[in-house]
Amino acid sequence: MGGRGVRVRILGVAVTFLLIAGSAAAKETVYVAFLGPLTGGVSANGIGGRNSADLAVRLRNADPNARYRYELISYDTECKPSTGVQVATRAAADRRVVAAVAHYCSVVALATVHVYHRFGLPIVVWGAVHPDITYGNDYREIHRINGTMINQNEVASKFMRSLGYETWAILYDTTDYGKGHKKYFTKYLQENGGKVLASFGVTPDQQDFTAELTEIKALDPQVVYFGGLTPLGVRIRAQMERIGLTSQFEGTSGIMSDAYIEALGPLAEGTLAFREGAPVDKLPGGRFFVEKYREQGYKEPPEAYGPFAFAAMNLVLDIIERVGPDREKVRDALNAVKDYDTIVGPVTFDANGQNVVPLITKYVVQDGRWTVWEDSAYARGERRLRRLGE
Amino acid sequence: MMDATVRTGRPPRLPVLAHGIAATVLVGLYVTLFLEAESQSAVLGLLAVGAAAAVVAARSGVGTRVIEVLEHHPVAMGLLAAVLVLMETWLFAERHFVLLMITTYLLYVTVGLGLTIQFGYAGTLNFAGASFYGVGSYTAAVLTAVPGFPPLLAIPAGGLVAAVCGSLLVAPVLRTRGHYAAVVSIAFALLFKTFLEVNEVLGGPQGLLVGSLSVAGYDFAAPLRPWPGTEWSFYVHHVLAALLLALFAYAVARRIEHSWLGLAMDAVRMDEIAAACFGVGIERTKVVAFVWGNMLIGMAGALYATMVGFIAPNNFTFADSLIFLSILLLGGLGSRPGLLVAAAVVVFLPEKLQLIQEYRFLLFSALVLVMLMFRPEGLVPRPPRGYPGGGGGP
Amino acid sequence: MVDAALLAQHAVNALMLGIMYALVAVGFTLFFGVLDVIKFSHGDVLTVGAFTGLTVWLALVAVDLATPWLAVALLVLVPALATALLGALIGRFVVLPLKGAPPLNVLLATLMCGTILREAIRLFYPGGANPKPFPALLPTTAYQLGNLNLRLDSVLLFLTGVAIVVALHLVINRTRLGLAIRAVAQDAEIARVMGIDHVRTVLITFAIGSALAAVAGIMHGLYYNEINFSMGLLLGVIGFSSAVVGGLGNVYGAILGGFLFAFLQTLGAMAMPFASAYRDVFAFAVVIAIMAVRPTGLIAERGVERA
Repeated sequence: MGGRGVRVRILGVAVTFLLIAGSAAAKETVYVAFLGPLTGGVSANGIGGRNSADLAVRLRNADPNARYRYELISYDTECKPSTGVQVATRAAADRRVVAAVAHYCSVVALATVHVYHRFGLPIVVWGAVHPDITYGNDYREIHRINGTMINQNEVASKFMRSLGYETWAILYDTTDYGKGHKKYFTKYLQENGGKVLASFGVTPDQQDFTAELTEIKALDPQVVYFGGLTPLGVRIRAQMERIGLTSQFEGTSGIMSDAYIEALGPLAEGTLAFREGAPVDKLPGGRFFVEKYREQGYKEPPEAYGPFAFAAMNLVLDIIERVGPDREKVRDALNAVKDYDTIVGPVTFDANGQNVVPLITKYVVQDGRWTVWEDSAYARGERRLRRLGE
Repeated sequence: MMDATVRTGRPPRLPVLAHGIAATVLVGLYVTLFLEAESQSAVLGLLAVGAAAAVVAARSGVGTRVIEVLEHHPVAMGLLAAVLVLMETWLFAERHFVLLMITTYLLYVTVGLGLTIQFGYAGTLNFAGASFYGVGSYTAAVLTAVPGFPPLLAIPAGGLVAAVCGSLLVAPVLRTRGHYAAVVSIAFALLFKTFLEVNEVLGGPQGLLVGSLSVAGYDFAAPLRPWPGTEWSFYVHHVLAALLLALFAYAVARRIEHSWLGLAMDAVRMDEIAAACFGVGIERTKVVAFVWGNMLIGMAGALYATMVGFIAPNNFTFADSLIFLSILLLGGLGSRPGLLVAAAVVVFLPEKLQLIQEYRFLLFSALVLVMLMFRPEGLVPRPPRGYPGGGGGP
Repeated sequence: MVDAALLAQHAVNALMLGIMYALVAVGFTLFFGVLDVIKFSHGDVLTVGAFTGLTVWLALVAVDLATPWLAVALLVLVPALATALLGALIGRFVVLPLKGAPPLNVLLATLMCGTILREAIRLFYPGGANPKPFPALLPTTAYQLGNLNLRLDSVLLFLTGVAIVVALHLVINRTRLGLAIRAVAQDAEIARVMGIDHVRTVLITFAIGSALAAVAGIMHGLYYNEINFSMGLLLGVIGFSSAVVGGLGNVYGAILGGFLFAFLQTLGAMAMPFASAYRDVFAFAVVIAIMAVRPTGLIAERGVERA
């Protein structure tokens, strides 16, 4: 490590020298990539992330002290592993691209980590939560700024038990993402004395859930837990109503999006979800982000993971400024990140490139907004969750 | 020259082959320029030149002669084509993406040849092309994960398993005709994708990691170092493998077409009842075509899987099957030279012309629709059967 | 063990699916009846119908005229007319010109038509690549019968579907137009000799079938409160499978096939609750099996073999 540090420093000095020499010339253009779902069911999250990453680049280009001029190339993964591998290969095979901020969908991230490793492109994951993205390999190119689904489900199960819920039925999509949620939620729920009456796997583009929900209705659980993404979450919540299933609906970070509320309208009220990191609008950096985002006039909202994409891109740009546009140097510098301050809290990458973020925030939909649980009418006892205390 | 061909049945060797050599050189030059072109205006300009050249070749009869050469000097032309691909590979040896495109092209050609045997020759429409491609891919994924299994064998194994899966479908396909056979293969395509998505063993909708090919410890996924100081893309290996596969598929398809079996397939396609009257075993002919076609498609799928290193059910959708069929219809049903052209259009065009990248499905469907309406015989129509020495020229 | 009310709930779910499948299947079978062609753009015509409906709704909201009953009426009428026109256009400019070509060319050409429609919606409808919320316009009053939850909107949708099927039955069996359609289906040559305008009859049949698809699309939207650009693909294939299983060219077979498919799917989910996701695999496997045993469908075609 010491040797690399010295080399980095020597190179830093050399590059500074060169820069002073060529300061009269125009800034060199450096390419960075963004990968996320820009079309399809979860595109709202992808576009929010893209805009947020773009915001980081724009702010940097507006800074006269920046050493380089940055250009962002966005790739659409469609939230499909197959497309994801194609565009990741495209980005990684493009030698101009120095680093990438990549992936909202765990399925795509899991499929593409090998591609980045093969081509040596350093990435920072901005939204995908499956633990194996960082812990399932020892690739030094992979980093993640957000937390994993493990902490999320641990907090979720403890919290739900503390409210007094006893029985659950679990629906999950059969991707590794959905299966992961099911696995960790079931595990922590059982440790905390909750009871899972049944689990149903559903395909990620399924339209009709009335058969599964009718089976669940027969079991009459207090809570229906869903491990999956917004589009299915919307359909399941709507069809629960259609067949008269009155259980409380509990989701994961996967359904935390404005799109969920927009699609369901009043039906979204009372839905629970959990997300890692501090609530953004409470941090000073978060308010700065929200303000700048508005100034730039993006049409779409940043969505739940936009701040993470912004923070990840800022981190990448900071490092390129420091070590220069070189994939290996950026990779090594990323691996050494410690106590780096971002708008989503401090970032420290462990040996697997995973940011150590213990904080999980609980959310509930109240009056058409994702509200932090502690600030909600539900926590104050003014409104009641469904089937509580039966 | 044409007259000489018909009269003697054996074409005068040198002058005709010279056409082939000249064509190969020109095509090579063009492909190099095209792959090298970065700016959109350059790509558009080259496309215009290519289209004009194609029209001139067709009008002047040069095109026909080139196709004749392709048929009459299979070994020489095969070697020339191989040299052409190798030249391009050497020129672009460090450019991952160009090599990836070339490999994809060769794999699409192989798939197209498999479908040509099924649909172009025997008239059995297969709407599950992408599914059999997927069967090959998944076979390779499973086999390369088996410790001690020689990875190279995964390619023929992929073909074999696809052929076996195909023969499970043969019963309903044979018993049914026309539209009903089409529904069987469509139902299979949907069944296959849903099955992949819901079962746990094969990775579900998440997909599977595929091991890389290797021969005696030499890894295909590692960069190639031909001599010290030079590093070529690992895709070079895959271009070579796909080239061998495509040549093999071309040889198989050509061999079938020129055999009695090919004649029987044509007869079955044209009129089953008449064929049966002349003693052609309809079921046997269809089975052979179906099995050989799926075999080639499965082998291409297996090679594809080891190249990309990761496969998921979404790689093998109904839309992909349609793209495969589009290649056939664009090129001209049953026309192998047409296939070579059409696969190039389908693979290279959207990659080089960013303008149409997003619209490629729309554009290809529109193109195929227009072809079906106004030129159903395709870009390069399959020539009527010629019998050396038997009159009725090629 | 099995709760009767739950069984009834499953049956209700299956009936809802069944009526939508049946409406799509009837279209396929009508086209095949009059022209012996498979018009595979049918599923995507359905999608066009659903998106037209959504556009009508958005327009009504924009001009502040969105009262539920007016909206429902317009949401059915406008898309039905639009797709009827679209269906007739595809018939006139794609299917009829290919009359002399091999039948598989018609299948392929209409398949490509469908892809064009689907891709056009994905690319050119605002936000067309994403699922679109569809308004819930029908009253959602729920009736509880033990464990059976019956919503008024589901009942209304089902009854509408049945009414349309009955109306179609009357048109085919009781009107001059129906007589013409049946005559063309039985023998186009003789029908022509008897003075029936062949092209006109074919195009009207295409229009009717396509309008049914729009109704199915709107029903789908109102039932699931969501539409997307690829909804027609699976619905089309299921409808086609239903029509084939029921015997192409036979309207009642198509309806039977539609309900059969829905019941197979529901049965799949009930019988294997641990693997409810396998139900489509199960349903398509049964379709292939039926094809292997009865190659021309459950209700066999009458008359000469069509291949």
